[in-house]
Amino acid sequence: MFSLFFENLKISLSAVFANKMRSILTALGIVIGVLSVTLMGTLISGLDRSFENSMSWLGKDILYISRYEWFSDMEWWEIKNRPRMRTEYVDKIRQRSKYALAVSPVMQRGASLSYKDKETRTEIFGTNEEYMETISTDIQQGRFFTTSEDKSGARVTIIGHGIKEVFFGKENPIGKYIKIDNLKFRVIGVLEKQGKFLGLFSVDKQAILPSGAYKRIFSKRGWMRLSVKVPEDKINEGIDEISGVMRQIRGLRPSDKNNFAINQTKAFEAQYNTLKVAIGGTGIFITLLSLIVGGIGIMNIMFVSVKERTREIGVRKAIGATRGMILSQFLMEAVTICLIAGLVGLLIAYVSSIFINKIFPSTLPLGLSISAIVMSMVVGVLSGFIPAYQASKLDPIDSLRYE
Amino acid sequence: MALIDLNSIYKIYNVGGEEVRALDGVDLIINDNEYLAIMGPSGSGKSTMMNMIGCLDTPTSGVYEFEGEKVHIMDDGQLASIRNRKIGFVFQTFNLLPKATALHNVEIPLVYANIRKEKRIKMASGALKNVGLGDRMHHKPNELSGGQRQRVAIARALVNNPSIILADEPTGNLDSKSGHEILAIFDDLHAQGNTIILVTHEDTIAKHAKRTIRLFDGKITEDIKDK
Repeated sequence: MFSLFFENLKISLSAVFANKMRSILTALGIVIGVLSVTLMGTLISGLDRSFENSMSWLGKDILYISRYEWFSDMEWWEIKNRPRMRTEYVDKIRQRSKYALAVSPVMQRGASLSYKDKETRTEIFGTNEEYMETISTDIQQGRFFTTSEDKSGARVTIIGHGIKEVFFGKENPIGKYIKIDNLKFRVIGVLEKQGKFLGLFSVDKQAILPSGAYKRIFSKRGWMRLSVKVPEDKINEGIDEISGVMRQIRGLRPSDKNNFAINQTKAFEAQYNTLKVAIGGTGIFITLLSLIVGGIGIMNIMFVSVKERTREIGVRKAIGATRGMILSQFLMEAVTICLIAGLVGLLIAYVSSIFINKIFPSTLPLGLSISAIVMSMVVGVLSGFIPAYQASKLDPIDSLRYE
Repeated sequence: MALIDLNSIYKIYNVGGEEVRALDGVDLIINDNEYLAIMGPSGSGKSTMMNMIGCLDTPTSGVYEFEGEKVHIMDDGQLASIRNRKIGFVFQTFNLLPKATALHNVEIPLVYANIRKEKRIKMASGALKNVGLGDRMHHKPNELSGGQRQRVAIARALVNNPSIILADEPTGNLDSKSGHEILAIFDDLHAQGNTIILVTHEDTIAKHAKRTIRLFDGKITEDIKDK
């Protein structure tokens, strides 16, 4: 049966290349179908990677207590009417919670940083000595501040990797003084490089201050949250307990609603999954649509091909081709067009993925590429079958007479 | 045993509610190494007769045996197989595949017979050499003259070593010189022991055959042997 297979392959290829323009137009739907499904896969793989990377900075075991819930549709005035977070809560939570492993306040605002003649605007954070336990980034150089530095209001700071690069280059920043809103702070540490959060904004340009000094100098503006680390296997218990502690601190009656929110990275995940489903759904919709349109095109062109070659079919039957042989010939032709189209689509997707990779890290998933090719061959079989069957049923005598 | 044995063959079509008897009780025996011409005016059943002998068609009723195989009860696949193994067709319009070379055209019956590539090329080029086209094997039909095309078709008919060669007006599309060449090839093939059945309406061509039958209204009206 190998002879027949190669013969059919030869016929198919010569038929495809004999009508180049026709083949290209016919195959376009399949090309687009394969392209859209593989690019969608590339996009999702890139998003996955960047999302997981970003989520690892946040940490699954960290609870973020603030006035508003992430991704909620609360009105701004409702949030504004809730009481602010206070640094006093830190000690109260520590005393009353048995799940809280580390508690730190995080106050944040924009500030102007300068060193010699260099100046940059960035976010500054005021926190306590347990802050490092609530983030996944490490100190690259120097040290974090101590409890006594925090309590005494010492003007020390830990700078992000980006600030170090801008201000000091290769110079050692430890012990140098930088100005934050025109007040001198001594650099005691540098954070390691992190990159962009969700591929959106850099977190390397930041400065961390002890809450003591921060409160005294900057607390008039900006906002605040609390980060609480809980045991990884006791997250839900931690949330329940800390929610109770917070209600107690706030003096809420049992009938009152919470006037604070406990957030965790799960909120990001839910949001992200919605996005992923939306991208995937759109991609699959476009793919199915173009494959159906492409399949109809292939079917149409195969009917034309059978009609055009009626006489050839007659000759082939006269010299001994069976129905099955004719059927396989035309089926193979349809599959060949689809396969070539699929490979072209994949090639375009591959080239595109190289460019996409330069914008954000992503790969063309191998499994999906293989399925896309298999899928295009299935389209070939499905759309080629009826024309091929029609060809196989042609009467040799009538076909030989066909002009 | 007769090579071909047609026994009271009827082929009846229904055209617009009217019964047309294309073959109306034909009895015919063809033996090995005969050179037979089938003649008759158009509508006489000549073509139907050829299709019947060539196993392209099956009779409405009657018994057709080809080397003892019962053709009249064969299904599509069996008919294709017997055509492939035992019958070599030569058509008036050559019916070569335009995109394939002479060699590939001759190879096709061997592909359907599931013969391996090397053997196929050997057999096909041998057949082409036999009809004097050894130097034209890689030409496509549109690069060949009419007579050469018909010779490719003859090579294709011969390549499977068929029991009969069935030629339908083989010189109808050729000038007289090429026509003579083709008929000379048939004469040769007959001399080598092949069985040839020629369908024609020209007496001059029929003269090459050793036996002539005439059809009229689906019946054999004349059967002249050994001229």
